[in-house]
Amino acid sequence: MTGIEVGIASVVLIVVLIYAGLYITVALGLISFVGVWILRGDIEIAMSLLSLSVAGTVSHQVFATVPLFALMGLIVSQAGLGKDVYDVANHMFYTVAGGLGIATVAANAVFASITGSSIASASVFTRISVPEMRRFGYTARFSVGVVAGSSVLGMLIPPSAMLIIYAIVTEQSVGHMFLAGIIPGIVLSIAYGFAILLMAYVAPKFVGGGDVGEGNEDWRHLSLRDVIRKLMPIVTLVLVVLGGIYGGVVTPVEAGAAGSLAALIIALARRKMTWRGLWEVLVETGHITATILFLIVAASMYSRMIGMAGLPTLFGEWLTGQGFGLVGIMVLYVILVILLGTIIDPASIILIVVPLFLSAIEGFGSSLVWFGIITVVAAEIGLLTPPLGISCFVIKSTLRDPTISLKDIFTGAFPFAVIMLLVLIVLIAYPNLSLALI
Amino acid sequence: MAEPAPAGPTADQSGRASRQRGALSSLFNGSVSSLNALGSVWIFFVMILVNCDAFGRTLFNHPVEGVIEIIELSIVGIVFLQLADATRVGRLTRSDGLLNFTLRRAQPVGRVLGMLWEILSILFMAIVLWGSTILLIGSIENNHYVGADGVFTFPEWPVKTVIIIGCAATLVQFAVFATRYVRERPQSTQDVSDAMPHSQMDEA
Repeated sequence: MTGIEVGIASVVLIVVLIYAGLYITVALGLISFVGVWILRGDIEIAMSLLSLSVAGTVSHQVFATVPLFALMGLIVSQAGLGKDVYDVANHMFYTVAGGLGIATVAANAVFASITGSSIASASVFTRISVPEMRRFGYTARFSVGVVAGSSVLGMLIPPSAMLIIYAIVTEQSVGHMFLAGIIPGIVLSIAYGFAILLMAYVAPKFVGGGDVGEGNEDWRHLSLRDVIRKLMPIVTLVLVVLGGIYGGVVTPVEAGAAGSLAALIIALARRKMTWRGLWEVLVETGHITATILFLIVAASMYSRMIGMAGLPTLFGEWLTGQGFGLVGIMVLYVILVILLGTIIDPASIILIVVPLFLSAIEGFGSSLVWFGIITVVAAEIGLLTPPLGISCFVIKSTLRDPTISLKDIFTGAFPFAVIMLLVLIVLIAYPNLSLALI
Repeated sequence: MAEPAPAGPTADQSGRASRQRGALSSLFNGSVSSLNALGSVWIFFVMILVNCDAFGRTLFNHPVEGVIEIIELSIVGIVFLQLADATRVGRLTRSDGLLNFTLRRAQPVGRVLGMLWEILSILFMAIVLWGSTILLIGSIENNHYVGADGVFTFPEWPVKTVIIIGCAATLVQFAVFATRYVRERPQSTQDVSDAMPHSQMDEA
């Protein structure tokens, strides 16, 4: 077998094994090990490459952003900040058709600017906004659909675990990736908002809701002072994280640490954090860190292996040789990512697919920051689609309501997946949306 | 990011209960949890340290020496201290839709498949363990250290040792999973792991 054949066979085998249920880390690490062994004809080279990957890959301070932003996100989830934002958003939008849905999107967009995970967003807002929307007559499908759809903002609007992972794989600046995510996140939120308004008029049976009548909900009568009091903590955290990075005062690592500390102080001040709660948050942070970073270790072995096989260069040349052009390649890429997204989580997709396309994209002189935003949005569509839409699974397990099936959640989320695709096309067509702030 | 399995009674309730018994298995679970606890404390320590450095530098023009080196060592330490426990509670990322389907519809095939994946995982951890041991011996023999002379230096062997401990514990955890495919009748990969029925995130 030639090097290229080994490379291609390895990639295919990895995808097949992942489909069949092998741990993604093991599939990447083990097959890459065997691949290097065959390519170099020497097991000791493969062995030393693997052990150097294990000891060295994550030994760089940028990787500290993963636990630090995970920690911050988990602390703010416990601190009850999501509820405050949702109250303010409801207060602003409840008179509009589909208003509580729009409020969910708006609250999620704000909440996303202090958490980096769609999982956290989905689980927090399932508890906060689904019961409220159901109470006002919104349909079950629409309520869970809005939560699923807007949860993807968590990974697009900085800080974001996916943007960090992409930055690491492609050696881009984490700060730049964060800044690039802001406008696309706002565009997606606004698109969701208008789509909900449209659905409320065109398909009122799907949306439900409508009459908000008279009531004494605590979000209905908020004074300006209430609004300020409820938004103050979040605004502070956003300033600490994004303000620091944007102003160049702090590195992303420091922003994560300062954000975690500030979030902890807020949580303690609001009496929402017990010792036990803090301990659970730290254990959860550890699990997230170990899972993501060990995956990155295996993926670095994989990218060395395909690099050794010459696959990215050859694949890039082949793609351009077919006369696809940049648009053609992007179409192909997005389709591939969305297809993989139906069964693989966004982090693994980024780690498997990006190294293959990088050389082709660089060949066109396109911005890798822009390519990263496209990648993250495309991979996140998979959070909403069956059979393995992770956001939908999280909502199902958080909801614990047997009358709302997984199928209901996927059905409700479908319009939002379509909107994501439309926004993705806009983001591909107008790279400046991603690049304006850098 | 494990996929939560559909709720409902599982066929291996008795299996789960019997897992609690046995001095050896409780010793192992205790060790894995201790490694995990150490990693959790370490994360908190890194968070505080980075803040001290940032505030010290901006407010008092006095950074903490060697912070970058400490962070770099810490990240590796944290990952490998937590790896076995993350594996134990079923958090290692996998796409288990097809495997779970097979476990429900064709038990024997599913169990063989599930066990095969655990065995491959054992093999992978064994290779990592072997290679890392060679690295550890090398760094002890040659007195490798990180940092800059005269400013801050720290030997490499402690972190290399943590890697080996973490990988060994993870290997044993995969072996525990493999035996569960033999002894029990799991309906999903979640039944095989020690996943909590509801994670703490649900209560947040």
